[in-house]
Amino acid sequence: MSSDIALGIDLGTSYSCVAIASGGPPQVIPNEWGERTHASVVSFLEDGHVLVGNDAKKNIITNAENTVYSAKRLIGRFYFSDEVKKAQAVMPYGIIEGPNNAVRIKVRERVMAVPEISALVLKEMKAVAETHLGHPVTKAVVTCPAYFNDNQRQATKDAGRIAGLEVLRIINEPTAAALAYGFGKDITQKICVYDLGGGTFDVSILEIGKDVFEVLSTAGDTYLGGDDFDDRIMAWLAEDFLKKHGLDLRQNKFCLQMLKEAGERAKIEVGRDGVADISVPGICQSPEGQVLDLAQRLGAEQFNKMVMDLVQCTFKVCDEALQSARLTAADVDAVILVGGPTRLPIVRSSVRHYFQKEPLTGVDPDEVVALGAAIQGAALLNRDAAEYGQASYLLDVTPLTLRVGTVGGFSERIIDKNTPIPIEKSKTFTTSRDGQDRVKIRVYQGEESKVDGCELLGEFEFTGFRVGYRGEVQIQVTFEIDSNGIVNVSATDLETGQRTSSTISLSSGLSEQDLKKAVDDNAGIELARTQHAV
Amino acid sequence: MDAQFLIEVETLATVLDQLDYYGVLKLEPGAGAADVKAAYYRESRTFHPDRYAAVESVEVREMIGRIYRRINEAYTVLRDDQKRVKYQADVSGPDRRNKLRFTEAEESAVQADQKRKQEEQLGQTPNGRKFYSAALIEINAQRWEAAERALKGALMYESGNARFKEALAMVQGELEKSRPKGDYRIK
Repeated sequence: MSSDIALGIDLGTSYSCVAIASGGPPQVIPNEWGERTHASVVSFLEDGHVLVGNDAKKNIITNAENTVYSAKRLIGRFYFSDEVKKAQAVMPYGIIEGPNNAVRIKVRERVMAVPEISALVLKEMKAVAETHLGHPVTKAVVTCPAYFNDNQRQATKDAGRIAGLEVLRIINEPTAAALAYGFGKDITQKICVYDLGGGTFDVSILEIGKDVFEVLSTAGDTYLGGDDFDDRIMAWLAEDFLKKHGLDLRQNKFCLQMLKEAGERAKIEVGRDGVADISVPGICQSPEGQVLDLAQRLGAEQFNKMVMDLVQCTFKVCDEALQSARLTAADVDAVILVGGPTRLPIVRSSVRHYFQKEPLTGVDPDEVVALGAAIQGAALLNRDAAEYGQASYLLDVTPLTLRVGTVGGFSERIIDKNTPIPIEKSKTFTTSRDGQDRVKIRVYQGEESKVDGCELLGEFEFTGFRVGYRGEVQIQVTFEIDSNGIVNVSATDLETGQRTSSTISLSSGLSEQDLKKAVDDNAGIELARTQHAV
Repeated sequence: MDAQFLIEVETLATVLDQLDYYGVLKLEPGAGAADVKAAYYRESRTFHPDRYAAVESVEVREMIGRIYRRINEAYTVLRDDQKRVKYQADVSGPDRRNKLRFTEAEESAVQADQKRKQEEQLGQTPNGRKFYSAALIEINAQRWEAAERALKGALMYESGNARFKEALAMVQGELEKSRPKGDYRIK
């Protein structure tokens, strides 16, 4: 029985959610305490146990150095990237450099790769589902932002494997949301999914033709999310405090965490009630030993002013997506909102204004992605599908242009963004020296012709082809993007038709050996499940 | 999966490299954008790999994967108006056998063609094009002075462009008309 069930897991920057669809409408699986979404926070306790979820979130303040949050911002990134530098400045946990420019997280003398942290969140989701269902589950469909590149997708897939899950598919969050919206409805519409999450923003334009869900275009910003709204409130609070007391709360990581929590709470309150009363008693001590409180009131108008430019940024991305789909805002029949920050009235009213249409509110923005993933999970396990057809077909696209590096720091386009996947494309390379026995190519993803503006996916080295004079040997390199949006590269000698062997000499990912070790380590970690009782 | 479908998959996988994109999508040559989309949806319903994800035979799954990648490739080319025209011409031509797949060479031919058309219409230099496009907007709005300025800007980059000169003469004629007659101008 257990082999016939696949979970749908929304692995979010701030919150994660798990759902299942087995004979009937998809459902979110709550944990033992009835919570339906779980903070993507991993706290390493003194006794060696690991606490994940909303309880772990409380430890961001009390056990700051040993509590990892927003790991998704770091997944699949190189150590030298801006996002990592930014995280290092604000995160209380250790972010260090690993081999091959990779990022490692250091907590309690333990060094882990970022997918290992995400794997612990997935492990918790798996445990929540298993507790609810009463039997083990080994398969899942995991979602990621549509705008994730190959490195980030690969790392997400690795996280699933480390958690002991067979990841049937990585699907894009907006596509999952569209599936949850249109599944079984028999509609023909053009829809826009506006997905503002904790750390990323995605827009996908889809055309639904009954059972076919065709993604026409996707665009996004992996550096824009609800966290940035919190940052604005934090900056305002900190500046104000600095003026009043001459102390900068941002200088101390402990104060910073309290400030962050206050900022997040204020954002939610101001969105819900129109005003937020911020009060953090004893946030810090003056040099004279006086205990200082943080107290402020944030009104809706003031908050809207603070974040207006962030909201405007999302519409630049919408413009781009619509343009790629060759549509205008008026062509869109329905707008689906996804992600917690879309609850904010400022976001809703701006979306309404942009599309001249009331966004749909029937679906819960926190749960819709997991529900869509669960539907896709059920579809992938459906043995009858081959016989009778399946209820829905996802036709997704690659979000970024695939490129190879050429001379002088430039690159050449191989597969354009918004091309339907799975797809393959070949390119012929010739040797440039007599007797050359290896060819190296670097593969990138991005929209700039200069490689500096693109993300390096890896360097591939091909050997084992005929050796001849320069220009004589032709090697055909095939680039394939699979249904997960993951890139595979292979090469053949064009004359002999022999496949050449290839090795990845540079990559942000984990080696097979590292992965195996991570799987074992993960299996040895016990999740704490007791804190609620205290 | 029934035996007949299996035979279809095997046959299609074998002849895939001899089919043109219309054949892959089971379309009549010369079909338009709407037909292409309908055919793409139809073939997706039949060959989408998700449908066969639970099929045990790796071989069958690989064959279907190969077919579906080609379906996507065909759709990518045929849905694009410019590429479709070029492709249609290529496969009806004498070199049909080598033109069944739209490769880098064809891709760059389409791009070069597009660039040439753009240059013909708007100018050879990026700055010339920029000024000339701005001038066209001003002319449309009948803001003659602004149009004159933009055209003079465009001519700085492409002094020999006949189209620019012609437009400038037209704009200056309009300006002359709108100027009050008989007034003297301060030098």
